[in-house]
Amino acid sequence: MQRRLATIGLILLFFLGIRFASVTAEASPALQGVATATLESARPTQPPTVYPPSQADNGAQVYWGMCMDCHGDRGQGLIEAWRETFPPDYQNCWQSGCHGDDYPENSFLILGSGAPALAGAGKLTRFSNAFELNTFIQENMPLFPPGSLSSKDAWSLTAFILRMNDREPDGLTLDSTNSAAIPIHKDVTLPASGVPGALALVGVLILVALVYPVVANRKPPASDKRPARPDFVGHLHPPTIPALQSRFRYTLGAGGLAVFFSLVLLITGLLEMYFYIPTPEQAAVSVGTITTLVPFGSLVRNLHFWSAQFLVVTMTVHMLRVVITGAYARPRRLNYLIGLGLLVLILLLDFTGYVLRWDEGIRWALVVGANLLKTIPVIGEGIYQFAVGGSEPGLATLTRFYTWHVFGLALGAAILVVWHAFRIRRDGGIAVPPPEQRKGQGRITRLDLLRREVLAMVVAGILLLLFAAIVPAPIDQPISESGALSGDSRAPWFFLWVQQLLKLGEPFLWGVLTPVLVVLVLGLLPYLLPNAKREELGCWFPKGNRAAQVITAIMILAILVLTLIGAVSR
Amino acid sequence: MKSHFTRRDFLKLAADALLGLAGVLGLGGLVRYFSFQPVSGRQTEFDLGDVSGYPEGSRTLRPEIPAVVYNRAGEISAYSLTCTHLGCTVELDGDDFACPCHGSRFNPEGRVLAGPAQEPLRRLRVEILEDNTVRVHTDGA
Repeated sequence: MQRRLATIGLILLFFLGIRFASVTAEASPALQGVATATLESARPTQPPTVYPPSQADNGAQVYWGMCMDCHGDRGQGLIEAWRETFPPDYQNCWQSGCHGDDYPENSFLILGSGAPALAGAGKLTRFSNAFELNTFIQENMPLFPPGSLSSKDAWSLTAFILRMNDREPDGLTLDSTNSAAIPIHKDVTLPASGVPGALALVGVLILVALVYPVVANRKPPASDKRPARPDFVGHLHPPTIPALQSRFRYTLGAGGLAVFFSLVLLITGLLEMYFYIPTPEQAAVSVGTITTLVPFGSLVRNLHFWSAQFLVVTMTVHMLRVVITGAYARPRRLNYLIGLGLLVLILLLDFTGYVLRWDEGIRWALVVGANLLKTIPVIGEGIYQFAVGGSEPGLATLTRFYTWHVFGLALGAAILVVWHAFRIRRDGGIAVPPPEQRKGQGRITRLDLLRREVLAMVVAGILLLLFAAIVPAPIDQPISESGALSGDSRAPWFFLWVQQLLKLGEPFLWGVLTPVLVVLVLGLLPYLLPNAKREELGCWFPKGNRAAQVITAIMILAILVLTLIGAVSR
Repeated sequence: MKSHFTRRDFLKLAADALLGLAGVLGLGGLVRYFSFQPVSGRQTEFDLGDVSGYPEGSRTLRPEIPAVVYNRAGEISAYSLTCTHLGCTVELDGDDFACPCHGSRFNPEGRVLAGPAQEPLRRLRVEILEDNTVRVHTDGA
């Protein structure tokens, strides 16, 4: 037994040794540049290695190796007091050429005012945030030769410079996605993670889901006179509806869930608007601020993101249910078209919302999406200018997309949702056979209906919160003026199928006409193809509209396959 | 008479309490969400160039701060030009300063000559750096 323990101990020690060795090794490549200048013992010694090293700890090592000679051990810059610590021969080398006598082959000149100070008040004022600082370091440092730092070393140095300025955000690893939100000259406090809060909310909601059905199931005692007039929520529902209309197996609850996700989108979107700044310079930064610095900001943003994704899925499922059960037949043809219009609006909302990130991740989606408009014959150029607000994407584009997203499209969608819901009641509720031909004659009360809706919302809410707490919404570095930096050129997932179609050739044919044709075919189903008979309604796969079912299934299947291909291919 | 508080009533109460709890949790989160202070980019230190740019007896307006810098008998002093009434920038009027918004008047040393302002113009801390740069601090005293 003891021997086994000893073996395990030895193995552990061995691995620990490897970890330590690798940490020291990590810092060493940076040290090769120092050799000549740091012989004097009066100079600062290498900072101690810390385990596990934070980003700034790594930065301290790199700094000591590559930057300290010119920028000073405390970031004071190449001032006289610092040069006096150099060996006598080197004290004035900054005027002639440093790192050797054979200028320019193995040495370099310090330009103009010498190496600037990096720490203290009034320093580094040209950079407003850590992202800009890092970009400068990456592109211009070390002076000899510029741009030779690895991206990891550059980020470590950025973190270390923040530390020298007492502005290190504790517990944050700087990278291209969050650093734009980290100012250089202001203290930032990172908020506590929103995950525990979200999980607490999930816990409470689960309890509600457990308790609520028991309570709401209450049948009023005969003596208990219910108020004759329902309250507001109750008023949105008829007093009773046929049980057939609320079977989950039939409706899948998709329409109701879509309303729920829309409400979540409305609320979280409103919250985001308080911090989002729709300018090309500030958009990605402010999204980073919401994600990194605002308490519960990442939760709000993730909720917005995930309900948007779920909404697309739910609406598609809803549309499929309506087609495959033949529910769109007269008198519901108009409402079917309204729903189809809503689906298109939501896709446009998703796309405009996606673009609002204004980071490297959306660069090509925006360019491609806008250029697709140009390919439309005759009116294309006009539509392009209307959407983009100029001859190329810029501030006007962002302002227009923002306005469309938070107002134009949102208002349109809101009106259609209300109209859609109104038409459901006006058309006699969800499609079922006429009363005399129904199999089940039971009816449920509005209380029962409400109970089911609340349950569905609670379950969907739990799922949504879990997703939002665990899977973060994407954000990339701000769009770079100097050219594309990010390798990801994929469309948002709901347009991956269009991206795949575009690979087939002629952009107008595949990128504009085909998607429009899909919507057109869906819209014409009730008008051109045979409809389901009234007595067939209320169940899946009625014989009456087989042709429509097949056509829709083929289209959706093709879209699914294309989406999958797009998802796996690069 | 027996208590009418049935098990169902208890569960109803529990459900309401839980919904209330969820609401309070959400409200707490909302308060914290809005408590975030976006970073203020306001500068509090201004380097105003070499001291020789402010000869004795001079009066220099620095609209970027905004402030007025005097050199009185070799001593450099600076006053904020932000009116202490409601924050407009006061304008030079002869040797005095007048606020265009509500008509407050201040003498060259910032003392109130006429209301509605009550407080004198704020005197700013001036620092002469090693390299003879004049630095003005707008924060603190």
